[in-house]
Amino acid sequence: MPTDIALTPKDFKSDQEVRWCPGCGDYAILAAVQGFMPELGIARENIVFVSGIGCSSRFPYYMNTYGMHSVHGRAPAIATGLACARPDLSVWVVTGDGDALSIGGNHLIHALRRNVNLKILLFNNEIYGLTKGQYSPTSERGKITRSTPMGSLDEPFRPLSLAIGAEASFVARTIDSDRGHLTDVLRQAAAHQGTALVEIYQNCNIFNDGAFDTLKNPATRDDALLRLEHGRPYRLAPDAEEIVHDVEDPDPTAAFTLSRLRHPTPIGVLRSVRRPAYDQLMNRQTAGAVAERGPGDLAALLAGTDSWTVRG
Amino acid sequence: MSTPPTVKQLDRVVIRFAGDSGDGMQLTGDRFTAETAGFGNDLSTLPNFPAEIRAPAGTLPGVSSFQLHFADHDILTPGDAPDILVAMNPAALRANLADLPRGAEIIVNTDEFSRRALAKVGWSASPLDDGTLEAYRVHPVALTTLTAEALKDSGLTRKDAERAKNMFALGLLSWMYHRPTEGTERFLRTKFARRPELAEANVTAFRAGWNYGETTESFAVSYEVAPAERAFAPGRHRNISGNLALSLGLVAAAERASLPLFLGSYPITPASDILHELSKHKNFGVRTFQAEDEIAGIGAALGAAFGGALGVTTTSGPGVALKSETIGLAVSLELPLLVVDIQRGGPSTGLPTKTEQADLLQAMFGRNGEAPVPVLAPATPADCFTAALDAARIALTYRTPVFLLSDGYLANGSEPWRIPDVAELPDLRVEFATAPNRPDGSFWPYQRDPETLARPWAVPGTPGLEHRIGGIEKQDGTGNISYDPANHDHMVRLRQAKVDGIAVPDLEVDDPSGDARLLVLGWGSTYGPIAAAVSEVRAAGGRVATAHLRHLNPFPANLGAALRRYDRVLVPEMNLGQLALLLRARFLVDVRSHTQVSGMPFKAAQLAAVIEENAKNTEATGAH
Amino acid sequence: MTYVIAQPCVDVKDKACIEECPVDCIYEGQRSLYIHPDECVDCGACEPVCPVEAIFYEDDTPEEWKDYYKANVEFFDELGSPGGAGQLGLIERDHPLVAGQPVRAA
Repeated sequence: MPTDIALTPKDFKSDQEVRWCPGCGDYAILAAVQGFMPELGIARENIVFVSGIGCSSRFPYYMNTYGMHSVHGRAPAIATGLACARPDLSVWVVTGDGDALSIGGNHLIHALRRNVNLKILLFNNEIYGLTKGQYSPTSERGKITRSTPMGSLDEPFRPLSLAIGAEASFVARTIDSDRGHLTDVLRQAAAHQGTALVEIYQNCNIFNDGAFDTLKNPATRDDALLRLEHGRPYRLAPDAEEIVHDVEDPDPTAAFTLSRLRHPTPIGVLRSVRRPAYDQLMNRQTAGAVAERGPGDLAALLAGTDSWTVRG
Repeated sequence: MSTPPTVKQLDRVVIRFAGDSGDGMQLTGDRFTAETAGFGNDLSTLPNFPAEIRAPAGTLPGVSSFQLHFADHDILTPGDAPDILVAMNPAALRANLADLPRGAEIIVNTDEFSRRALAKVGWSASPLDDGTLEAYRVHPVALTTLTAEALKDSGLTRKDAERAKNMFALGLLSWMYHRPTEGTERFLRTKFARRPELAEANVTAFRAGWNYGETTESFAVSYEVAPAERAFAPGRHRNISGNLALSLGLVAAAERASLPLFLGSYPITPASDILHELSKHKNFGVRTFQAEDEIAGIGAALGAAFGGALGVTTTSGPGVALKSETIGLAVSLELPLLVVDIQRGGPSTGLPTKTEQADLLQAMFGRNGEAPVPVLAPATPADCFTAALDAARIALTYRTPVFLLSDGYLANGSEPWRIPDVAELPDLRVEFATAPNRPDGSFWPYQRDPETLARPWAVPGTPGLEHRIGGIEKQDGTGNISYDPANHDHMVRLRQAKVDGIAVPDLEVDDPSGDARLLVLGWGSTYGPIAAAVSEVRAAGGRVATAHLRHLNPFPANLGAALRRYDRVLVPEMNLGQLALLLRARFLVDVRSHTQVSGMPFKAAQLAAVIEENAKNTEATGAH
Repeated sequence: MTYVIAQPCVDVKDKACIEECPVDCIYEGQRSLYIHPDECVDCGACEPVCPVEAIFYEDDTPEEWKDYYKANVEFFDELGSPGGAGQLGLIERDHPLVAGQPVRAA
């Protein structure tokens, strides 16, 4: 798919005025994605961004590629159809914690288990932004919001644990404001065969400002973050044994353990295993059917095997 | 030796096979149908089975039946009442007895009439002995014993051998009605190719049934129904069910459009057979996607359509309810998409295996906002083929989702179909946008074709036409997000005008005498019963006009004028008057509704009585 | 496109904008603050909080301060893209355009 075309970040900016709240973490992600896209070496016309509903789902309008802003929660399903019908395309899904984990939870887990060739960017701000500040499925329990004045009651999802449970082949986490890290994770996601889920901690400076401050503040972040790198050792706690991080470990146990960890919070690629992509398998079946039976003969199909002739 | 049996000539016969869900009645019926089709009769079938896969054995809810009407002339329905019932057990007899006219023949499997089996259906004494069946010609046959006897050397266990009793029954009926048998034997050998011992056992049972008829005095009469030569146009024919015809129509549409077919679907009765059928045709480039739910089924189809495929989703009423939001998105995106609804009894889960036409208003209006969607409906099982092509034509030409409303009756019923030449099928080729469409070299995704109002279909991979579409209101032309009040008003009216402007053929009114004052108007699967009823009324001297709507949105341009030409318009529907509501609203015509929502199709005779009464009343009301 | 800090900041350096910037791309020079043109993500959070209205969207920079775009860009010629201002703290120099401004009375 990569071509020789030399594109710049500017080529990926559409003519539409970006309309997120000033200071929104989405801007940083948009800038990082636009900055990274030229690296892919894929022509703009072969890239599609599909989104659902929510603040983050405005994303496709700002990318000068093909794009679809669909309905709430359904982007993975729509993108699955597109990727299966058009395995030649690079298909990206942009979604949020409400879109992906609440209304669209079913589509997300099934896309992950199928391993469709999609890159899913999950902007997790742990709040509902577009509907003005209700708690989300990733909000911490007891969250005071407009819909939960006495505190939310539900246990939050941990998106990466959910993804690993759903047989995801690529699972990573990064942070909106850390452009270098975000870009590095995008690079690995793009190179992955199948569905890549990238959780991006994204600050909603209006309804949940500072949710990730300890992970961002230079004074606290070194202690708060566990930066994972394939082949490098890490410790789950200061006095714990060293473990060499292996993203390719077929056993998801270590990745799952990391996905449960909060202090420190792991960022980077937790898991990246090889598995055939669904769209490739589907198209292989189609090609196999042609190889086995020859290209379809419509006249023969219509005639069937049990017919008779009426003479005039 | 018995005396040679008498052969009687008949012009038409209605047979009903009935048994337990596990007795293989649908297969038996299918095979008899195939033999009959091959013989050249016109025919129409009505399978009727419970929603449960295996309801408790021997109970009334577990009865499965298959009715076949065949004739030496053109017929339109599966028949109102059976001339002959094959009852494999007491439940099958009890469940179907009320439908039998006096004098009908009954073949009963006496082996199953044990005290316990009788008690299960509430009979304290055997109806075979107590006079219950006095009005009928009963053939008591020990089907199970005879089958086991015929297979005693097969090496099969008695239980396995007894399972072939449906083939014994089929053999017997095939003898009674002089059906050709080679097809069934060939079919059995193919079906059981991996288990030759079962294939041979079934063939043996089938032949034993035939020979039983030939040699037993109980069956003194056999029947001949001559081929229906004049019922068919010249050419090759096959028997076809609605769901199969619809599936083939979809494959044909994709071929004629030179587009890959993409089906996104979630299994649901009675639509799943389309998913099964299309899954067999991957060598046509067909991609079938069994989604995680109804919403994902249509979502994937819409995604594929964005990518340039002929996107299709298949479902039934409950699934349509779930797909509504995405249908609205497709309206807003203005992408081609086929939504196939095989209607069943509702509301909610309703009657999964029964038929109904109660999704018309859901198809018309079941979305938020002003979201017009073209709607069309096939009239007969074979017509599902043509309707699928027509639905694809509209979707592709006008870049819109389209509803195709079949139903359980059409889906599972079958009739002979003249196999069309591929060359006579419509050319559905579309042109993707390949170049900018603005003088300044830019591309507007909502710049419309002045004639069809369709927008360009620019698929990803086309350089220079990168664009973004979505469900938010957009500015006409540029497609950019727009909340402008005047633009929204314009867009709402424009989307409506696009659907209103779809080219559909005029309604053809059949009014042979030219002076009828009553018009009977139907849509969808009521075609057969209405046509049969109307010809009964006419045969009795009644004056009545009839017409059938293929297109429900938009209506044919001449519909209003056609309605106003008649003093009375009668609309029979398998709902509570949904088309009638639309006609009244649209044309201010006082149409009369005749409705039935029993899960079963109209019976022609009952409908004929209603039509006759309406015709009389209309005549009695004097001049216009 | 990017945001630009213009002349009104010189010798003021209120730093309210630094608090607001979600990506830490506003760097402190000797007499003025500077927005890193590559690190800025155009979110606009800084612009309304500046007490002296020194921050402008590139295209909207008043004619008399157009040159400040260059000042913001060239200030980083030596630095490259450090990826966060916090870690650098005060950078004890200025772009010549800023350095050439008359010193504002406190």
